[in-house]
Amino acid sequence: MGKSNSNSKKGFSRRKFLARTGTGLVGTLALLYFGRSLIRREISGFVAEMEFATDIDNFDTNMWFEVNADNTITLKSPKVEMGQGIFTGFAMLAAEELDITLENIKVVHASSLNGIISNTGVSNSTSSLYVIIREIAATLRETLKLAASKLWGVNITTIATKDGVITSGTKSITYAELAKQTTEWIAAELPTLRPASAFKYVGKEQKRFDLLDKVLAKPIYGIDVDLPEMVYGAVLYSPYFNGKIKSIDFSKAQKSAGVLSVVEEKEWVGIVANSRYAAETALSSVKVTWDYIPNYSTNDTEKAISVGNGTEVNIQKTGDIDKIIGEEIVAEFRTPIGFHAGMEPSIVVADYKKDKLTLYASVQNLTFMQSSVSEALGIDTDKIDIIPTYLGGGFGRRAFKHNAVEAAKLSKVVGKPVQLLYTRKQEFQNGYVRPNTQHILKGKLSKNGQILSMQHDLATGPMAFMAMPAAEPLLGADFIVAGHGSRITYDVPNINTTIWQNSLPFETSMWRGVGMFANTFAIETFMDILAHKANIDPLKFRLNHCGDTAQLKRREKLLELLAEKSGWFNPKPTDIGRGIAVCDDHKTISAAVVEVKIEEGYIKVKRVVQAIDPGKVINPEGIRQQVEGATMMAISASLYEKGTIEDSQFVETNFHSYKVAKLSDTPEIEVLIYEGTDKPYGVGESPISPIAPAIANAVFDLTDIRLLSLPLQQVFEKGNAENKIDA
Amino acid sequence: MKINLTINNQEKVVDIDPDMPLLWLIRDVVKLKGTKFGCGMALCGACSLYVDGELVRSCSYPAKMADGKRITTIEGLSENESHLHPVQQAWLDIQVPQCGYCQPGFIMAAAKLLEQNPNPSVEDIKNGITNICRCGTHPRIIKAIIHASKIK
Repeated sequence: MGKSNSNSKKGFSRRKFLARTGTGLVGTLALLYFGRSLIRREISGFVAEMEFATDIDNFDTNMWFEVNADNTITLKSPKVEMGQGIFTGFAMLAAEELDITLENIKVVHASSLNGIISNTGVSNSTSSLYVIIREIAATLRETLKLAASKLWGVNITTIATKDGVITSGTKSITYAELAKQTTEWIAAELPTLRPASAFKYVGKEQKRFDLLDKVLAKPIYGIDVDLPEMVYGAVLYSPYFNGKIKSIDFSKAQKSAGVLSVVEEKEWVGIVANSRYAAETALSSVKVTWDYIPNYSTNDTEKAISVGNGTEVNIQKTGDIDKIIGEEIVAEFRTPIGFHAGMEPSIVVADYKKDKLTLYASVQNLTFMQSSVSEALGIDTDKIDIIPTYLGGGFGRRAFKHNAVEAAKLSKVVGKPVQLLYTRKQEFQNGYVRPNTQHILKGKLSKNGQILSMQHDLATGPMAFMAMPAAEPLLGADFIVAGHGSRITYDVPNINTTIWQNSLPFETSMWRGVGMFANTFAIETFMDILAHKANIDPLKFRLNHCGDTAQLKRREKLLELLAEKSGWFNPKPTDIGRGIAVCDDHKTISAAVVEVKIEEGYIKVKRVVQAIDPGKVINPEGIRQQVEGATMMAISASLYEKGTIEDSQFVETNFHSYKVAKLSDTPEIEVLIYEGTDKPYGVGESPISPIAPAIANAVFDLTDIRLLSLPLQQVFEKGNAENKIDA
Repeated sequence: MKINLTINNQEKVVDIDPDMPLLWLIRDVVKLKGTKFGCGMALCGACSLYVDGELVRSCSYPAKMADGKRITTIEGLSENESHLHPVQQAWLDIQVPQCGYCQPGFIMAAAKLLEQNPNPSVEDIKNGITNICRCGTHPRIIKAIIHASKIK
């Protein structure tokens, strides 16, 4: 069970005491061969409603827990800690069943050869493991009790566990001592879990475990990994979309101070040197010309991503929108390309020794890294150990396009560990981005201000297909990830939602909140337009369209709470604009009231009250951190961030050209948590989505100017007042 | 070139390319990993440290300019782990970090701001620190600096 007793592993191995099969995408994809349009619509609804099951299928206790000699227990997390605080939440869950104090549970990353690896994303780390971690912890506790009953020859019913100690009558032994003495383990059956009413930790405020290390700046990130004899790699990638090397002269780089090796591959050239400075100096001396298709620009991208272009998939059809007569209100929205711009650029340290490769990495998707490296270098996955470090931000960027293959190849060539770090410019130009979108929304109202029909046409680049390229021809358009949040979820009798996906010459994929961010901006700004047209308060207008489903009842409750706590109906100064927006991110609901001022031509967000119903609350303080963080990232993305293209490359190369929110952009933020149901759902992404429309709606409230595209500050400056739409 | 430095009160002599940014000297030669790389152009502040008491973005500061000078990094800010600098204590109390990567730079900038302005207003803080955080810890950073100003 512990490292102290390797034989003990046999007791558990190959035991799958749980058969936990979520309805996987693979199964649903196969269905797509039949009755495409109908099935696509059904899948779209199913995915929008679904709770993301775990992708983990190994519930062997030993793969998750180790009992240490100092009577602490190590939990090897299959999910990575990128700031979202999951390690703390996982320990709280485990503590409920382990009968050991919270301080004595250490959470570390599982490595690929010493635990379960997974992908970390879609905000499901805690929700998908909420039951699993407790079940495995409970099984471990019962297994320890079985071992003690055998050791002492007593009936298991006489045995109790508390604070890491097992007792029966006058006998007592620590978990660690028992693990040391036990050579043969009998695996316990899965016991009944303790009910939520007995929880000691879950639901209570808990400071995150990593605070002190992070405040003291202990070395914990990918960039901090330092191995004996480690050298430094730098790789030349094309700044142009799909650029290929036409001519190259790296003779100067070969002679550059500190350079150990120059490695030429088909797609890239790598330099290894004895310092990061030497590697990057040599890299900048390489003379290269590129073969690429020139002159592609932002305009081309916006043309490509337009309703009517590309592959069309209808994903929602209720009633018949064509039968509704009356004035049609139409609005067109656009959102730009977005970068993740996490503070730690992509980083891998590769150590290739004989037949074993160790990769230390800031990575979200370990399984993808493992398979891509295995394929590229021809090494079996059981010879690759991926050791995740803490991540200097994730936001979806570390799912793909790691530089692990390059790092591994360079390490193999020089026979030493190689640190490979993207420059900030490469992080912008050689990663992937949130695709730009266009939304055309149409609606008709009844005389009493109820929505009779709503139509949403979304044009977007894909987000899902870096993860599952084979699915593209089957799905037709990425309605699962990029289309997430595009469905009309209000109680409206006639609805039609269609996605148009076009291909782009650059890679587009996950970004915090995925499609929700853009789709919520369009739909919730349009709701505001309709509310004003109907001459009904925007919050009341939304309440008027919350129907009878359990999910919509939760939304209604949350909106009512938000109205009360934010003082929505209270009078406000004339220089303040107030806006509201709400969204459902799978089963989590987020709603925000935003107050803005215009100061010297700048939109200034002054106050945000954000309410969230994430279902069961694990750690309220952890939720507050995530909601505040998502609010700030959303303010940044809504007001300022825009990726642009000139001559087939991204113009933005660093923070001088990609403006992000700073301390001066910080409003007062108040977070309201409402536990609307007893199952936990995701927290990290949902609250990013209501902010952009709430700001736009607040600006309209103050100025009568409708902002229909992001980034709002730039659109506001251009005076892009599309008042005609809201006539 | 041989460069003489006093880093966190310890004297060091390193033999490196004089144009190497001070950041890489600190991180990869002296092996103090708390100071982070973020942008390489002095735009984000992740690499903030002190040179002769001045706040410097070390990614864009050639090592030769630090010759003969006193450097303080995040590792040298507190006396020791049981006597934390008020800013670090405030960061703990307010639970500021998420991913934590930009926090050493923010902490160094905040400590310097408080040294120069012991009782800053929220506006002073918003205008005085231009570092970048992407997790969105901004509101807590501001709260923590106000809190730190009251700890002393």
